[in-house]
Amino acid sequence: MILWRAGFRYLLRHPLQILFAVVGVALGVAVVVAIDLANSSADRAFRLSAEAVSGRASHQIIASSAGLPETVYQQLRLAGKWRASAPIVEGFAAVPGQPGLTLRILGIDPFAEGPFRTYSPGIGRGSDFSRLLSEPGAGLMTAATARKLGVKNGAELPLLIAGEERSVTFIGLLEPRDQVGSRALENLLLVDIATAQELLGKLGRLSRIDLILPEGDAGRRSLQQLQQFLPAGAEVITADRRGQSMAQMTRAFQLNLTALSLLALMVGMFLIYNTMTFSVLQRRPLLGALRTLGVTRGEIFRLVLVEAVLIGLLGTLLGLMLGILLANGLLALVTRTINDLYFVLNVRSLALTPLSLGKGVLLGLGATVAAAFVPALEAARTAPRSVLSRSTIEGRQRRLLPWAVGSGCGLMLISCAGLMIPSKSIPASFILMFMLITGYALVTPGTAVWLLRRLQPLLKRSFGMLGKMAARNLVAGLSRTGVATAALVIAVAATIGVGLMIGSFRVTVESWLHSYLQADIYVTTESDGFGPGRTPLKKELLERFQEIPGIERITRARHLKLESQDGISELFVAEIPPASFAGYWFAEGDRQQIYQAFSSAEAVIVSEPYAYRRNLQRGDLLTLRTDQGEKQFRIAGVFTDYGSDQGRITMRRQLYEKYWQEPQTDALGIYLSDSAASADLVQQLSRAAADIQQLVIYSNQDLREASLATFDRTFAVTSVLRLLAVLVAFVGILNALMAMQIERSRELAILRAGGLTPQQLWTLVTGETGLIGLLAGLLAVPLGIAQALVLILVINRRSFGWSMQIAIDPLILLQAVLLAFGAALLAGLYPAWRMARTQPALALREE
Amino acid sequence: MMNDTLVRIDNLSKSFREGDTERVIFRELRVIIRQGEFVVLLGRSGSGKSTLLNLLSGIDQPTSGAVIIGQQNLTGLSEHQRTLFRREHIGFIFQFYNLIPTLTVMENLLLPLELIGTAGAEAERQARDMLGEVELADRADSYPDRLSGGEQQRVAIARALIHRPQLLLADEPTGNLDAETGQQVLALLSRLARENRMTTLMVTHSLDVARLADRILTIRDGQLREDDVPKDRL
Repeated sequence: MILWRAGFRYLLRHPLQILFAVVGVALGVAVVVAIDLANSSADRAFRLSAEAVSGRASHQIIASSAGLPETVYQQLRLAGKWRASAPIVEGFAAVPGQPGLTLRILGIDPFAEGPFRTYSPGIGRGSDFSRLLSEPGAGLMTAATARKLGVKNGAELPLLIAGEERSVTFIGLLEPRDQVGSRALENLLLVDIATAQELLGKLGRLSRIDLILPEGDAGRRSLQQLQQFLPAGAEVITADRRGQSMAQMTRAFQLNLTALSLLALMVGMFLIYNTMTFSVLQRRPLLGALRTLGVTRGEIFRLVLVEAVLIGLLGTLLGLMLGILLANGLLALVTRTINDLYFVLNVRSLALTPLSLGKGVLLGLGATVAAAFVPALEAARTAPRSVLSRSTIEGRQRRLLPWAVGSGCGLMLISCAGLMIPSKSIPASFILMFMLITGYALVTPGTAVWLLRRLQPLLKRSFGMLGKMAARNLVAGLSRTGVATAALVIAVAATIGVGLMIGSFRVTVESWLHSYLQADIYVTTESDGFGPGRTPLKKELLERFQEIPGIERITRARHLKLESQDGISELFVAEIPPASFAGYWFAEGDRQQIYQAFSSAEAVIVSEPYAYRRNLQRGDLLTLRTDQGEKQFRIAGVFTDYGSDQGRITMRRQLYEKYWQEPQTDALGIYLSDSAASADLVQQLSRAAADIQQLVIYSNQDLREASLATFDRTFAVTSVLRLLAVLVAFVGILNALMAMQIERSRELAILRAGGLTPQQLWTLVTGETGLIGLLAGLLAVPLGIAQALVLILVINRRSFGWSMQIAIDPLILLQAVLLAFGAALLAGLYPAWRMARTQPALALREE
Repeated sequence: MMNDTLVRIDNLSKSFREGDTERVIFRELRVIIRQGEFVVLLGRSGSGKSTLLNLLSGIDQPTSGAVIIGQQNLTGLSEHQRTLFRREHIGFIFQFYNLIPTLTVMENLLLPLELIGTAGAEAERQARDMLGEVELADRADSYPDRLSGGEQQRVAIARALIHRPQLLLADEPTGNLDAETGQQVLALLSRLARENRMTTLMVTHSLDVARLADRILTIRDGQLREDDVPKDRL
């Protein structure tokens, strides 16, 4: 008990040092918890919404984007074998005056709903039910959704669907049984199937048919019998397959965020390691005295470890609170990215799951214990003597240096070799990257000593004896400076690595957009993104546009989603003139030959991510489910594309029309005889379309800017994580260097007593901290570049299949070095100020 | 071993490696210290006095030979066993006091008691009695950095004695004090050791201090010799 008291009072006597360590853990834990909460909230919202719309269905009949003919459903009912079947028409609508809110429209047949969706006792009986059938344009929603939209019972709710103004009458409430049901039905508008078909422009079509099939042999027989009723383009998939495919889309994105958040925790771990190592070094005489009194090694080990756990516990608790706050901000960024890149998802509230919080506690405490283990072991090894001289400790550290450098080099070599082994494992890539970082951290103290020794003559020439002293002090205090420098290097390198990766990606996308977007103007319908599932353009628009003078050529495009048991594929159907095809980048093959095959044979081109995810290459055959059944297409080439991380298949329009029966268009590329006139033409096109359909019209430049804005939004979370890593790094620098200088109070007092003026003391202290900051900043540059290369060449490639240009922006490197140098200078200010205004005699006496 | 023998040093040698050369501190020392004896150990700086104390307390291990305290051969014990032996049977006083700065005077005294399993009111009573003995009862709640050097060393003496160790080892306990305070501390140490019939081995440079001793041992050229106690013993 008294022994513990001695330890805890030590912590209380060094509040600043402990505060920084607590803040370091807190920030690390906060970042991990925030990302986990944001990811799990998005997952939960997606799962609930998927459950809400698929209900108890075991299977679903699906078709191409155009949907199933409703006659399929009628035939099934008439056959009498599939009574548990329900037709669904599904789509999305925006609400004027509610920016960012997307309503999911679910069209159902109330008679068939009973066995499927039981969340609302009101469905299937009561007056609302009959009104849903009898009143065209009637809809139901939950009280919470109605409140959010500000509509009252009986009121008309305006909607914007595919650029056209529509409306429904809000006639009653969905009554979910509980909170979970309520959340699942958030932003859902339930309408009769006929109303949905009319609203969404899907007359005579169904989005899918939900089925409940028995399990076992009976289910298999039922499935076989079902096949004869299916038209050529239709397929039966298990109900959970769809959800899995969609969840899989976001997995790599979420995994990358988690790994980046762990990087912040790793920086936090170094902070703890640094604090605990320092506290052990500082207390060596005390620990030696305790050992002399008969305190065992085990008792000392436990004492140091419990102190660390206490710091970890405080940091973790603070981190959880900060994490929840941060998650609220990150949730919006994560959801926006999912909406931009993957699918429509409404996540209004953070789901605080015990699992996420538990993971945070485990990681926080685990990281603390792991980081404190070595210092605790070091403390337990303290010889039971009155005082172990500083020179002995430094001597031991210096003897360990070659070992540290050797094992660091070994780790880096293993990591590089591992990264070169072809694999698709993302976790393995991150583990190897963390190995590389750890290896570099082990090499850092040795490199720092080597550099400082070589810098001594230069510093002496530039700053006199004080300059030489600063460098020598740092070398002599290796036990203190080594870990601190390594911690700073890791933190600063993380900011360089992530910064360069984002920068390289942006440069690549910018140059790709420049080459890929060849038309002068792009026209599309109002939708939630640039992906598939857009509403078609009205035919008369094309006719009207063709009459506008100045237009040389109009190409039509269609973005479709092909669903199958294997997952979801994006199909881009386009008319690509030879000049535009020249804008496509192919890693291999002759562009002319590829175009020849693409434009005349039964061939398609696929994007890099698509080929990567499905292990496809040029020349392979790709099987697609067309409206005439399954059909094989030759892959004429694999092109670079950053428009979709799931990848896409591009097919010429004539080939598409041969196998699919939906000759619609959802985007136009307009080529002008005079490109300079595009701004005027955009105006003319808007006016021409005004009375037909609301459109989104971009000039080439506008579309590029909009695409880059989406890119920036996508990486907003990553940039936030980078900033947080910078913050942890900054706290780390302050903590390590300030503690180091405060510990030297007596030494500095001796120098003051020997005649050093306060100004000279300022120079010496800030010179030392600045030197170490500058050194850490410079040493962080190679590691940062290496991290960027791993992120670009290995992790991005394994996550998404993208190949990227490497752009080393000197500004990012300079920023990082300045960050380290500035923070280090700042860290020297307090100790310098404190020592400069303390009487040397008092400082000596206090010791 | 005679019945009243407490410490027996048998053929004790200690050497260190310094690079390629071996530095012998002392070779094949033999000595017996009897129960209740007050022995002073003299020798020049670097002669191995402190090393001998470290070997006697089990802090360090000899190159060869044996250290037997009571019936226990310390050289046959593991590091952990030696630590447990030390906490129970050895009291240590240092030149630089080595009090625990984060514990009060009272707590510094309670710590050795707690380590041997004595706690609560009984431990506090013993600590208060001991503080009374060293005339610091009124400083029980002070932290060490509030005490003068002499007072700190008196606390260190109290801490070394409180658990009634078999052997008290003192490493130049007055080396850091002025002459007058040093005399007072020595007188106190000598009185308490004799009153408690505690076997004491004290390292010192000072011949004046040697006058307190029952026996004087000197390490010279790696050998231990017994010298006469000065006639004008205090």
